[in-house]
Amino acid sequence: MAYSDKVIDHYENPRNVGKLDAEDPDVGTGMVGAPACGDVMRLQIKVNEQGVIEDARFKTYGCGSAIASSSLATEWMKGKTLDEAETIRNTQIAEELALPPVKIHCSVLAEDAIKAAVRDYKHKKGLV
Amino acid sequence: MGSSGSHFALFDLEPDFRLDLEQLAARYRERVRRVHPDRFAGAPAREQRLALEESARLNEAYQTLKSPSRRARYLLSLQGEEMPQETTVQDPAFLMRQMELREELQELQDAADLGGLATFKRHLAQAQEQLNEGFATCWADPLRRDEAERLARRMQFLDKLSIEVRQLEERLDD
Repeated sequence: MAYSDKVIDHYENPRNVGKLDAEDPDVGTGMVGAPACGDVMRLQIKVNEQGVIEDARFKTYGCGSAIASSSLATEWMKGKTLDEAETIRNTQIAEELALPPVKIHCSVLAEDAIKAAVRDYKHKKGLV
Repeated sequence: MGSSGSHFALFDLEPDFRLDLEQLAARYRERVRRVHPDRFAGAPAREQRLALEESARLNEAYQTLKSPSRRARYLLSLQGEEMPQETTVQDPAFLMRQMELREELQELQDAADLGGLATFKRHLAQAQEQLNEGFATCWADPLRRDEAERLARRMQFLDKLSIEVRQLEERLDD
């Protein structure tokens, strides 16, 4: 199966790979996995006092589509408020990366990782 | 779906997670021999086709039962609901550990550390054994379905890790 140019670009030059301190009260961590393919994705956000995501990092063990989906997710989240970030949908990720139907679940995983990171942050701040 | 007509019934076995794999293999070999195409070379087309179908069924059943994680999911599906294939697991501590293990594997690869890889493999086998033990004690209890599903999911991640270990072994062997 051929990957789209955008997937290859994110795969070869992943944005924002890395780790933030999960113990930092301003950091939210989302850990999600896809059992069928064994993919594991960690997505982290650092939120400033205005509630804006000022940094986002990811680490993904999985196929090119899963790596590209999480890479794109971190790119899109930076500079957004939590509420804005939560509106990012897997369909937008899949469309941007031109994912084929069998790889849609990779974008779902990224959306779930975004939500998990936001939820973790809100939980830390006592907002949920 | 009950247990009659199940993969287990094909081998005259009771649906259970604890399985004598040697007995399963012996019964598989014996049954698959009975429907071997050579025996049906001169038979009518219909019989040939039925033998082929039976052979495929036996094969599918054997592959499912032989693998602990596939057997686990199959047992849960026999109890009612099929576990969805494409789903997102939120099991943070376990997934965090999975990520660490994959990082370790990466380091073993970078260092071409065969000794370290052997140790890694042994620990992985122990972790799989632990999961299997845990699943064996809870799968039959409908009240512990969530726990059983979580363990069956974890088995899938460790399966994937085992494949990666095997691939790395092959690369380092070259």
